[in-house]
Amino acid sequence: MLSPFVDTLISLFIKFSALSFLAFGGVNALLPALYELSVTQSHWVTAQTFADYFAIANAAPGPNFLTITLIGWHVGGILGALISTIAISWPSSVIIYFVQRHINNMQDLRKQKTVQYAAAGLAVGLVLASAWEIALHLDHSIAAYLLTIGVVAITFFTRVHPLYLIGLGAILGLLGLV
Amino acid sequence: MLGVCQLVPGPNIINLAVCVGSRYAGIRGALAAILGLILGPIAIVILLGLLYDHYSYMPMVQGMLRGVSAVGIGLVASTGFKMMRTELSYPPMLIVTLLILIAALYFKLGLGWVVLITLPIALYLAWKKATRA
Repeated sequence: MLSPFVDTLISLFIKFSALSFLAFGGVNALLPALYELSVTQSHWVTAQTFADYFAIANAAPGPNFLTITLIGWHVGGILGALISTIAISWPSSVIIYFVQRHINNMQDLRKQKTVQYAAAGLAVGLVLASAWEIALHLDHSIAAYLLTIGVVAITFFTRVHPLYLIGLGAILGLLGLV
Repeated sequence: MLGVCQLVPGPNIINLAVCVGSRYAGIRGALAAILGLILGPIAIVILLGLLYDHYSYMPMVQGMLRGVSAVGIGLVASTGFKMMRTELSYPPMLIVTLLILIAALYFKLGLGWVVLITLPIALYLAWKKATRA
């Protein structure tokens, strides 16, 4: 018999590892599946905590898988955080290690390009669908939707550093406007 | 080489670390690169998590997080739109984008199914794109 704690850690590891295999387009494309898994299915965090962790992960310096690190931390402490981060990373690390060797050795440049173009083509749709779905989960007011849309417009037409936008969001929220 | 690193599923930054690390020092290099990249951010984000546990009852903190989360979603969407811009060099590929959106948002299929259904079409169009004159 394993203790419930070890059970939870194993469950974190297996479920996040499985998720990682589907992360074409990076963690950004995963968000709705991550929400489904951690809030709806496994009840690791509440919808509110998920939204807040997503916000913290965005504000923190570093890669975008930190939402997953925080969920793991919430469920299993520091060990949970480490195991979750490793789980979301190892499948792709192993794949990429072999794929890059294989691709670099490919004689046919067209095949090389085909794989790259296909992956890029998939990523666009997956990330956009992800943004839409996660907005439905996390944006709860018209002001929040407007802020999201505003950020899309600003980043599309200008080269403002994302950190300023995050600061702007924090201030607007602090003033109770979102 | 960066293109290759981004095509595999998973966190892009980690894939990049594996690519660069392994090129210079094999598997050990890859591992070192990963650890170097993720340990700092993990420590910081856990500290922020601790702060959150203590202060999340405050309406001001809650409001701040709502604002940041709305911005974060916008940033995710904007990476999608930026990638779409580069796809415009071969518009047929946008069919894949459209199919994914329909499968995910209208038919509400899970991520696995969406990838499974659209991957063959993406590969077909990518082959066309790679072999066009």
